[in-house]
Amino acid sequence: MNRKKGDKGFESPRPYKLTHQVVCINNINFQRKSVVGYVELTIFPTVANLNRIKLNSKQCRIYRVRVNDLEAAFIYNDPTLEVCHHESKQNLNYFSNAYAAAVSAVDPDAGNGELCIKVPSELWKHVDELKVLKVHINFSLDQPKGGLHFVVPDMEGNMAERGAHVFSCGYQNSTRFWFPCVDSYSELCTWKLEYTVDAAMVAVSNGDLVETVYTHDMRKKTFHYMLTIPTAASNISLAIGPFEILVDPYMHEVTHFCLPQLLPLLKHTTSYLHEVFEFYEEILTCRYPYSCFKTVFIDEAYVEVAAYASMSIFSTNLLHSAMIIDETPLTRRCLAQALAQQFFGCFISRMSWSDEWVLKGISGYIYGLWMKKTFGVNEYRHWIKQELDQIVAYELKTGGVLLHPIFGGGKEKDNPASHLHFSIKHPHTLSWEYYTMFQCKAHLVMRLIENRISMEFMLQVFNKLLSLASTASSQKFQSHMWSQMLVSTSGFLKSISNVSGKDIQPLIKQWVDQSGVVKFYGSFAFNRKRNVLELEIKQDYTSPGTQKYVGPLKVTVQELDGSFNHTLQIEENSLKHDIPCHSKSRRNKKKKIPLMNGEEVDMDLSAMDADSPLLWIRIDPDMSVLRKVEFEQSDFMWQYQLRYERDVVAQEEAILALEKFPTPASRLALTDILEQEQCFYRVRMLACFCLAKIANSMVSTWTGPPAMKSLFTRMFCCKTCPNIVKTNNFMNFQSYFLQKTMPVAMALLRDVHNLCPKEVLMFILDLIKYNDNRKNKFSDNYYRAELIDALANSVTPAVSVNNEVRTLDNLNPDVRLILEEITRFLNMEKLLPSYRHTITVSCLKAIRVLQKNGHVPSDPALFKSYAEYGHFVDVRIAALEAVVDYTKVDRSYEELQWLLSMVQNDPVPYIRHKILDMLTKNPPFTKNMESPLCNEALVDQLWKLMNSGTSHDWRLRCGAVDLYFTLFGLSRPSCLPLPELGLVLNLKEKKAVLNPTIIPESVANNQEPVISSNNHGQSVGFQNTEDDHLIKETASSISGHQQGVKRKADMPLGSPLEPGQILEKNEDSKVKLKIRFSNSQEEEEIDMDTVHDSQAFIYHHLNMLERPSTPGKEQSSGEITMHPVSAAPLSVFSKESNSSKHSDHHHHHHHEHKKKKKKHKHKHKHKHKHDTKEKEKDPFVFSNSPASARSIRSPSLSD
Amino acid sequence: MIQSYISEIGRSAKSYCEHTARTQPTLSDIVVTLVEMGFNVETLPAYAKRSQRMVITAPPVTNQPVTPKALTAGQNKPHPPHIPGHFPEFPDPHTYIKTPTYREPVSDYQVLREKAASQRRDVERALTRFMAKTGETQSLFKDDVSTFPLIAARPFTVPYLTALLPSELEMQQMEETDSSEQDEQTDTENLPLHMSTEEAGPEKENSSVLQQSSSLAGSRNGEENVIDNPYLRPVKKPKIRRKK
Repeated sequence: MNRKKGDKGFESPRPYKLTHQVVCINNINFQRKSVVGYVELTIFPTVANLNRIKLNSKQCRIYRVRVNDLEAAFIYNDPTLEVCHHESKQNLNYFSNAYAAAVSAVDPDAGNGELCIKVPSELWKHVDELKVLKVHINFSLDQPKGGLHFVVPDMEGNMAERGAHVFSCGYQNSTRFWFPCVDSYSELCTWKLEYTVDAAMVAVSNGDLVETVYTHDMRKKTFHYMLTIPTAASNISLAIGPFEILVDPYMHEVTHFCLPQLLPLLKHTTSYLHEVFEFYEEILTCRYPYSCFKTVFIDEAYVEVAAYASMSIFSTNLLHSAMIIDETPLTRRCLAQALAQQFFGCFISRMSWSDEWVLKGISGYIYGLWMKKTFGVNEYRHWIKQELDQIVAYELKTGGVLLHPIFGGGKEKDNPASHLHFSIKHPHTLSWEYYTMFQCKAHLVMRLIENRISMEFMLQVFNKLLSLASTASSQKFQSHMWSQMLVSTSGFLKSISNVSGKDIQPLIKQWVDQSGVVKFYGSFAFNRKRNVLELEIKQDYTSPGTQKYVGPLKVTVQELDGSFNHTLQIEENSLKHDIPCHSKSRRNKKKKIPLMNGEEVDMDLSAMDADSPLLWIRIDPDMSVLRKVEFEQSDFMWQYQLRYERDVVAQEEAILALEKFPTPASRLALTDILEQEQCFYRVRMLACFCLAKIANSMVSTWTGPPAMKSLFTRMFCCKTCPNIVKTNNFMNFQSYFLQKTMPVAMALLRDVHNLCPKEVLMFILDLIKYNDNRKNKFSDNYYRAELIDALANSVTPAVSVNNEVRTLDNLNPDVRLILEEITRFLNMEKLLPSYRHTITVSCLKAIRVLQKNGHVPSDPALFKSYAEYGHFVDVRIAALEAVVDYTKVDRSYEELQWLLSMVQNDPVPYIRHKILDMLTKNPPFTKNMESPLCNEALVDQLWKLMNSGTSHDWRLRCGAVDLYFTLFGLSRPSCLPLPELGLVLNLKEKKAVLNPTIIPESVANNQEPVISSNNHGQSVGFQNTEDDHLIKETASSISGHQQGVKRKADMPLGSPLEPGQILEKNEDSKVKLKIRFSNSQEEEEIDMDTVHDSQAFIYHHLNMLERPSTPGKEQSSGEITMHPVSAAPLSVFSKESNSSKHSDHHHHHHHEHKKKKKKHKHKHKHKHKHDTKEKEKDPFVFSNSPASARSIRSPSLSD
Repeated sequence: MIQSYISEIGRSAKSYCEHTARTQPTLSDIVVTLVEMGFNVETLPAYAKRSQRMVITAPPVTNQPVTPKALTAGQNKPHPPHIPGHFPEFPDPHTYIKTPTYREPVSDYQVLREKAASQRRDVERALTRFMAKTGETQSLFKDDVSTFPLIAARPFTVPYLTALLPSELEMQQMEETDSSEQDEQTDTENLPLHMSTEEAGPEKENSSVLQQSSSLAGSRNGEENVIDNPYLRPVKKPKIRRKK
């Protein structure tokens, strides 16, 4: 981890250099979802005594390894399969540490890997001469759960007719899931890729397609790809399916692929791509680095956009026809994003994880430039503001996103992200949301750098990076040059200072090396005597996620005489800033007022303060600090700002501020903006919602028709009959978006009884009724969907008399009308489905709103049927969201179980991820809440999910961790019975606090092993075990063997085999394999011995109490005698010092106080636990890893 | 006898008249004929003035079918100047003049829209109700399944197809609007249309390349105007030497 970063360039963590890799997939079986193939790595040792080669491989079954045609022994060990073997320590803090340790134990950037190959002794001499080695690995994959995703529709016909396809996917470096490799972004090599597929299929992969050859039986063909540009394994991808091929009519090197029948959509969707190409090539003054580019659109995508070397994999749902308005900009954005990552991310790779921000930053930044050019400055600034708001909100909520984590000595104190419940040392331990925000912050910081050094220099730096890389990539046989294609933070900063000559170190220190955003509070007073504006700017830098800002800050003051920029120096103690004003207040003279952009306008100045020349003030108008500004100025100033400031960001800020000033003047300002056609449409849309809020606040004094109604009538209804909307014509997109939004905002209006005015509801119903799209060139599906959203917005809680059951008879007549529409729309969707089923989505949401407001009986059955596999993904997500909401509102255990089982079993990775995400965002309960759902079985279930159930998908596992954190917090879940003994270990402070209930002798025995296994076990262990390795190997192979036997005995028939198990079999029968346990685990084993004893003790202890301990504990202790003096790392859980008190209380509480009361419940619990135990015994759902079986059983056996 | 006599008179009279280069026989022609046939012309006036001669009455003009006056609505149109007078007269006006018999059309926009909207709504409701009745349904209320029947959600085997492809109705609609708007809105409409034609060009090229390359059977000659895309190249035959 602690790589030296300096001017010397890249130092490989591996004792060898990979120069070339062959991947050959001979057979792909769609029916069985299996893959058979081999890889061949050409490596040059860089040290003389290389005797181990560590590679990455997950879920692959490895049959045979040969090094220079000699059989080689190998060991497969993956600690991430099951992170914690101590079933009992169910606190997240412990898990996170263990998980981070496990991930770094196989981290290729630290020179580690799951697969360790022993170089045959015959070759040692060969190695000492540093001669080339060829490592040949035969492997297969059976029903992969991650990495490769098979989509096989269940219907008639052969695989090609069914549209079956397979593609690689994953989060960050996940290539190890589908073939053995060095799964690092920093190990570059050239590639030869071969795929033999059905003759009706096409295999799309990286590099140039050299040739396609039939097999002898002419039923299959082999695609031969060559990738001569050195590329990291993590950027290798594959998509196989019966794709339709479209050569881009503008650029013949670009080929697009889509699933059958979608070719017309593909043509339309990709017809724009060449412009993106031109744009990037022009600004970077660099040709696209690869000789070809391929886009593949596939179903059940893992992410919408995934960029790999010379190809990108997109979700098929991005395809659209010319009739669709809303999807078009979104899809184009995705295309542009993918292309930006081709330059930075695929072609230029990163040295280490801590340099990731540079790549994400640059690709995000040039994507932003493209956006500015394509959608205009307004859209760009709006986007920047949106991203800024997002990152600020996230950092303030969770406590900071660190772009460039540098890790010191690995001590816990240095942990830069102690506020987080996961480790940021490794991409695979990151929460997905954090990673999204990380990318967002990266490009915002790039923009800050641009502000500092100018765009011209910025582009020069990019050009320099690219040209260095392309020179390096053309050096075919000088693999040491290839590290020029890797970017590092220091290298990037160095070229910035070389090119621009400017020192941006403070900026980097502030935003890159440090996490947090700035929070400003501003207020002002005008000193009339001195004609000075006294501005006070305070900062909050004590709350989590904030930091102190010192440096320049731009303030723009609009006065009567014009707009003036002032740069203030924000310093430690200066809060007040005096800004001299240029103009005397002179409101009598009728003169035009010059604006920032040079425009001169007439203003009605009657609203402003007679004494002050100030119209409005803006702090940091260019968003050159990552900040949140809360600025106080009077309502008329906000109104002036809204009306006359030309910057859309200022307008949006003004609109948000005006929500607090429900006055007729605000109303007028907003209405004027709404009507102004030159105004940016997003501002107008925002104004709609603000107007609705203001109208609600002013409900008692509101005069005239409901807000926006007359406006809508004027803009979109017929002249002769104002109650009928014109037939749709969406040629003008601005008014289209406004037409969509206004009804949604109007439906939020409430009258004095807090009901939606009847007039508004009827108006919306009329819009639906008279909607006529026959003459329209565009589809109106989004418009209709928003009308349904409007209906849903108009729903207010039902007046219920003593909780009566909701039936049809007591249905509110208004709701009946709404329901009528929803029913009709939803049914029509079955016959004439809309694009992306937007209408179904809106209907489902509306039904949930009706349920939630008590108009319709709350029932998840409908949603569950729509959430099933086989519905369109948007529909499923909407339905699942409703079920998640139901789970929360109705506290339904059954639904929660249903959701969690879907997380485990659903075929679509995105859905699995999304369920966890939605549960985290809308949790059924949180850590501080009492809930009937919070019980031991659930803790156990989730624990297993993140501990071992999601080892095939990093993103999913991190999602499970997030959910666990939201539900139970960092420490031991409160619903678990407190352990009777054990010690409280505070991991952060490395302090062990004795649980008051524990017997004193245990401390001395156990404290040490626990700490060692927790904190430095795996990561440190790996480095210094190389030497004494051989000796240990023999010893451990014996125990390994025993374990194999034992495990097999335990294994129920028909349970899925994991790679580790196969190894065991091999060991017994054919190839002589040796199992070696990583040092960490050996330590753990030592640990486990004691743990085991203590567990036994606890078990018995608990048995006496007639209450099982923690759930999920295996019944290992039946055969073991009780050790009277033992202790339990089992009970280790980190809580602050008050935990002892708490536990005391809880203990007491549990034993006496509740005994009577909860007798029944108690029994039930017990029974339930019994169930879970049995469940666990049966198919080893999660714990069939080589490591897991050892964890508790092996000591007993070797005893 | 009489008939042949009379016809002989007529024939001869005609010959005489033609002989003198006329087309219509005159009285003198007939007199000459009669004389020729040996008839005493002098007796003819006396015969005509005999007392007991039979008088053939003129055909009864009065009871001639009174041309249905009821039908002659209005005056026959006089000939326009370019039609010669000898042409037949125009038929009666009623044979060609349309008389509007329906009611005044409802041209009120509001009513029309209202009608179209409610018609469509009725059709939709009837259709969905029918579909709901004939298939499985879901209900929002446990006690009542018929008031708001929802057609049961049925998973698709290939969900993205229905979700992404425009429905036939929409396609049809698009074609209609395309053709109708083509002449109305030239400025905005032409852009995408041009693009589609441009797109069509290279596609044709593509297909021709495909044919060409397949006919060439692998021996590609890299012409500049031909798209050389590896995915369009023919698949090679396996090499035989692989057999060991």
